[in-house]
Amino acid sequence: MLRRLAFVLASLAVAGCQRSGGCTGEYCGTLVLAAVGEPDILLPPSTQEAVSRDIDEQLFLKLADIGVSTNTIGDEDFQPLLAERWEWDGPLTLVFHLDARAKWQDGQAVTASDVAFTFDAYTDSMVASPYRPALRRISSVKARDPQTAVFRFRERYPEMFYDAVYHMRILPAHLLRGVPRDQWKTAPFGRQPVGDGPYRFVAWKAGQTIELVADSTFFLGRPGIRRLIWRFTPDIVVATTQLVADQADGRDQLVTPDNIARAAAAPQLTIYPYRGATYGYLGFNLAANGDSTHPHPIFAEREVRRALTMAVDRASLLKSVFGDFAKVPPGPVSQLWWIWDPELHQLPYDTAQAKRLLSARGWRDSDHDGIRDRAGQPLAFHVLVPATSTIRKTYARLLQEQFRLVGVQMDIDEVDNSVVAERAAAGKFDAIILAWTTDPTPTSGVPQVWTQAGIGRSNYLRYANPAFDALVDRASAAATRDQARAAWRRAIETVSADAPAIFLFATDNVAAFHKRVTDVRIRPDSWAALLRTWRIPPDRLIDRDRVER
Amino acid sequence: MTAWLVRRVAAAIAIVFLVVTLTFILMDLAPGKPLLGPPERPVDPQAEAVLEAQFGLNGSLGVRYVSYVRQLARGNLGESFGLRRPVADALAEAIPNTLLLAGAALLVDFLIGLGLGVYQALRVHRLPDVVLGNVTLFLYSVPTFWLGLILLLVFGEWLGWFPVAGMSDPILCPNVSSFYCLMDRLWHLALPALTLGFVGAAGTARFQRAAMLEVAAQDYIRTARAKGASERRVVLRHQLRNALLSFITLFGLAFPFLLTGAVLIETIFAWPGMGRLATDAILRRDFPVVNAAVLLASTLVVAGNLLADVLLAVADPRLRVRGSETV
Repeated sequence: MLRRLAFVLASLAVAGCQRSGGCTGEYCGTLVLAAVGEPDILLPPSTQEAVSRDIDEQLFLKLADIGVSTNTIGDEDFQPLLAERWEWDGPLTLVFHLDARAKWQDGQAVTASDVAFTFDAYTDSMVASPYRPALRRISSVKARDPQTAVFRFRERYPEMFYDAVYHMRILPAHLLRGVPRDQWKTAPFGRQPVGDGPYRFVAWKAGQTIELVADSTFFLGRPGIRRLIWRFTPDIVVATTQLVADQADGRDQLVTPDNIARAAAAPQLTIYPYRGATYGYLGFNLAANGDSTHPHPIFAEREVRRALTMAVDRASLLKSVFGDFAKVPPGPVSQLWWIWDPELHQLPYDTAQAKRLLSARGWRDSDHDGIRDRAGQPLAFHVLVPATSTIRKTYARLLQEQFRLVGVQMDIDEVDNSVVAERAAAGKFDAIILAWTTDPTPTSGVPQVWTQAGIGRSNYLRYANPAFDALVDRASAAATRDQARAAWRRAIETVSADAPAIFLFATDNVAAFHKRVTDVRIRPDSWAALLRTWRIPPDRLIDRDRVER
Repeated sequence: MTAWLVRRVAAAIAIVFLVVTLTFILMDLAPGKPLLGPPERPVDPQAEAVLEAQFGLNGSLGVRYVSYVRQLARGNLGESFGLRRPVADALAEAIPNTLLLAGAALLVDFLIGLGLGVYQALRVHRLPDVVLGNVTLFLYSVPTFWLGLILLLVFGEWLGWFPVAGMSDPILCPNVSSFYCLMDRLWHLALPALTLGFVGAAGTARFQRAAMLEVAAQDYIRTARAKGASERRVVLRHQLRNALLSFITLFGLAFPFLLTGAVLIETIFAWPGMGRLATDAILRRDFPVVNAAVLLASTLVVAGNLLADVLLAVADPRLRVRGSETV
């Protein structure tokens, strides 16, 4: 009531402040998106922040994009974007023909020179792009003529097309060529970008909002919603509160059951569940804490790790933390991946067997203090958890209790995420709870985190099993999905049996958007990829949709 | 007075320099690397090395410190790793927002606190004094962030009277370009400013009540009454005026309170100010932003105290004379 009164008074006081009429037909509408965090920069090769990616999705096009199936093998499921068509010229050469209608928003045509320039920038060490390693198997990109870009690969493999199109967003060479590469990290272009996508950049108010407006001349079709505003909040609870209070129209991930329940109870919102890209686990450091040259006194033994895994009721933990919005993964697998298969063989929840295995390995409670011991050493360890993650902190406490029931002591170290990162990289931990958000394909994420090739980089647990590595190599090189699926199944079952980690959760994502928004299609790997096709029908427009500025 | 002031300013500069130096060293010693990224999104080691060189992080602590002080002397606060822009630009946008919030909170704090303190002192040990005493004690005991969350829940989410986050309507009023948008800005300011202001006002009221009662027992108040001065004149001219001396000290101390309180309040209400900027920077180990924020905060705190001292000296000639003689 006070709000209404204040605004009525204000409106009466100043004639002309209220806009009458405004946008009323198709292609109207404003979508206010509650974002957690803020982009660092809107220059695609220089960032991998989730919000930056969502906004870049609207500003900069790829040559082609993955389909809703998220199939990464071959090229048949990919959709044309900047490239209207493509063909293979021999086993190692891929030729893209650009759509002649594509334009930069300053009026210049998008050409094959832009494509070659983009590849050069993404792979330039001075730009330090996080996507550079993903492009290592492409040897060159050249402009054959203004409309034709030619990719040459170093080797033949099933995901050549995916690598060629998924990681790079094409950049305007004429605007960025003059910017020294060592200054790209803070280039002014990144705060006022000019793109070729369905939306144009309008304004960035630091700490508050980024606003985009639809490009009505966009060559692949006019976007259905006229204006997009990302509103930045410091955390998910504040973002959800904005949404529930009808001060924002949408949020791509609600994360916790509490937030989902709040959004589901809000009459103006519709809930959209979709496949999640995150899986989480309690990982065991197989090397000694801080000394990678020696095995860990507890976790180096496979049977001990298996016992600890069997001591945990993962299903009930999942229910306690996520409610119905996650699944127990069969291994290091997210639901986003096509190899997701909950029927894979896993270690059972069996505390009696867990106790037997621990006793058989010499871990017994000889001093009757409730904690098993061996040669005077208690079966005790520390787990590293980021203090900012409510979910992982909750998991740590639940795991602590379940381990206690089988005579294992787990102490929880809650620290800043930057400290977790530093200690993980240095191997200074016993156990760690991690949650990986994956690409659409297992062929990048699994080798990095779980094979010997990842040791010293993302394989913080130092898990090494040559049989597993061979299966991953075979799966990655398989020419068909069926061949790959069989190899992946065996690989996942192998790592699950070795138990370098207790695989705890694979999330379902739940988004919420205002009921007036229709045609909402969410691609699981990138919720905003199809935003240009969403719309707000004229009969559902509300006041904020009609505002003209 | 001038010599005293010069010495106070010199001491203030030295304190700020010391704080900045300590912050620089402590941030360097703190665990966690600024460019490493979260463990699940690690930066490629080669890219990390390139970025470290580009951001000037690859020298020894001493080399970096000397470089930092040199740049600082030229007015260059460096570039933020996390925000990917000059720190000065980020601060220039955040400072006015924090000053607006702190200024509004200070207004609420002192207007309500002063009024309540005087009102209670004039009705000492009567029902209004007892009730208000308990209310202010309760508010004074409440953590600022808790009160903020409660106000947000009740007046923002349940009743919908106030916005739950941000400092303006992003559609109608991205900038304050009309009276309507000024109203919108005040509407967004209300909950965070009231949260900060209420907690401060509770302390101010208790302080002011005690000061009023202490002055009321002085001989000159009795003399004023004996001379036949009206009660209004006694209270306003003699009692309140003298009790305001302690209020001025409180004014100087309010700066640190508001700045530290604003850190949490800006986070809860998504207010894009210094507090939120600094919190994010600490979590990201964004040293240049943290150093600049500390530099600014310590300058404000020291300046606030200096201002309070000067005001006291102006308001109370006894202090000025004593200061001149002894300092």
